[in-house]
Amino acid sequence: MKKVKSSRVSRSRLPYLLALPIIALSFFLVLYPIIQGIYISLTDKTLGAATGKKVSFVGLRNYNELLHSSAFLNSLRLTVIYAIMNVIFSVGAGLITALTVNKKFRGRGGVRALLTAPWAFPDIASVIIFIWILNSAFGVIGIINVHLPFDTSGGWLTSSPYAFISVVGISMWKTFPFYSIVILSALQGVPEDLLEAATVDGAGPIQRFRTVILPSIRPTVLLLSLLAFIFAFRQFSMIYLTTGGGPERDTETLVLMVYNTAFKYFDYAFSSAIGVAGLIVTVAVASTYLLLTGRSEKGAR
Amino acid sequence: MAVVRGSRKKVFVMNSARYIFVGIICTLVIFPLYWMVVTAIQPPNVTLQYPPVLYPVHPNLLGFKQLFHGNPMGRWLLNSGFVASITTIITVSFSILGAYSISYFKWRGRAAFAFLLLFTQMMPEALIVIPIFKIYDRLHLLNQLPALSLIHAAFVIPVGVWILRPAFESIPKEVNEAASIDGCTDMAILRKIVLPLTSPAIIAVGVVSFFASWGDYLMAVTMISKKELYPASVGLASTMSQLDTPIQTLLSGALLYGLPPVILYMFIQRFVISGLTAGAIKG
Repeated sequence: MKKVKSSRVSRSRLPYLLALPIIALSFFLVLYPIIQGIYISLTDKTLGAATGKKVSFVGLRNYNELLHSSAFLNSLRLTVIYAIMNVIFSVGAGLITALTVNKKFRGRGGVRALLTAPWAFPDIASVIIFIWILNSAFGVIGIINVHLPFDTSGGWLTSSPYAFISVVGISMWKTFPFYSIVILSALQGVPEDLLEAATVDGAGPIQRFRTVILPSIRPTVLLLSLLAFIFAFRQFSMIYLTTGGGPERDTETLVLMVYNTAFKYFDYAFSSAIGVAGLIVTVAVASTYLLLTGRSEKGAR
Repeated sequence: MAVVRGSRKKVFVMNSARYIFVGIICTLVIFPLYWMVVTAIQPPNVTLQYPPVLYPVHPNLLGFKQLFHGNPMGRWLLNSGFVASITTIITVSFSILGAYSISYFKWRGRAAFAFLLLFTQMMPEALIVIPIFKIYDRLHLLNQLPALSLIHAAFVIPVGVWILRPAFESIPKEVNEAASIDGCTDMAILRKIVLPLTSPAIIAVGVVSFFASWGDYLMAVTMISKKELYPASVGLASTMSQLDTPIQTLLSGALLYGLPPVILYMFIQRFVISGLTAGAIKG
């Protein structure tokens, strides 16, 4: 009797105990730093040399400054454009690749394995490769440069707008092959008989795509678009080590601005305010995600 | 007859177009990696010729030799392996417990817990790297490799839980109920039934967390400032900014550091998909 009771008590506590290690770790390394960041954003704290300076509370001054900072607004705009380009080009190329590879042909398995490679390749190694390929004096890109109708002699990573195009291109290289694999696995769920019926009814490839294929892979494509957005929004080292945010501040996305403001300009408080703005974007994206997946799960049922 | 021949011709054209397209895609994907290998195995004076030769000339392994000679690259790779191993141990054990909790029990706060995981997964680390730096500074945890593992684990655990959750949920309820009636406690069910049945997914979590840690640059460069404690990512980046590093050496380093995850990820592809999409695509 006693034994049954004690086991019931432990049963109700057990799920909390199981989740506790993660909750504790998240509190220590995610939530507490966020609270810290919000607090700092309300002060005038700096990093580095001026440590003796007294830190004082300044209310919303940093946020007021933020809304009037052309660097911040520019960075926000860049981040959005960068993310949207990632969505359009990476998911778009992934979709086209998946549709092509979906038919049976010789070497398909090898092609699929190959498509995982760039995603698994670490950022720093990719950075080294692309800095070398795009090198303005000795890079292999030189072969192409001479045939281009525009002047890239300022360097692919050091002049505008090529630096921006390059960082979009590098992240596209990294992501689209993997997205194509994800879409490919969703394509396996397209009902074969419906496709055949559509063919018999005389539907062309475009019509078949619109009426049969697209409806069944739409949740996956939507989700991937959101993930591509997040990937771009989070992307730090690949941009930081290729362009550093330059030339001028033409590739300085939000995460780079947070880092540069703190470690280059030592303005910890202002950097924190930018960080808080980024967190608001994150919450918005995570909520959108829940909305999307909730709906697609309901749709599946 | 004419119709058949016409459609056969059309099929031939379509198939050729497909092969050409797949060929172009593969070239785009593989060329940067190919170029890394070519540059890594040929002498710099060949590499710096213009126009570049697209195949390796005088292949040799001097780049790798220099890598270990002039720089503590071997040490850096070992550091990365050490940090990644600890990250893997933490991530695998915490993710197993968390996934078990979220997929087997109904409890108040479960939805909030799931949101916390989702939020952690989506948040750019760069937004809070500076507060973490300050906290670590206060607690004297800077320049400590296991402390770096802890940060890596915190950010990769959500992916681990999302990989394990569908695997755990795929075990038929009847199996667990039978075990429960036979007197198995919940922890015994986890140990004796759930874990053995889901070992491929658990291995996948191990691989993902190992290489998430292996690939990190931002946290490592912020928390570790002693050269002998650098992980390979930071070490390579520091080599890159030294102007006198021969290009062959640099690309050899990228090759050595980048190849292991590429090979292992090919085996766990499908698990990565389920972790990436947060186990949400079920339809």
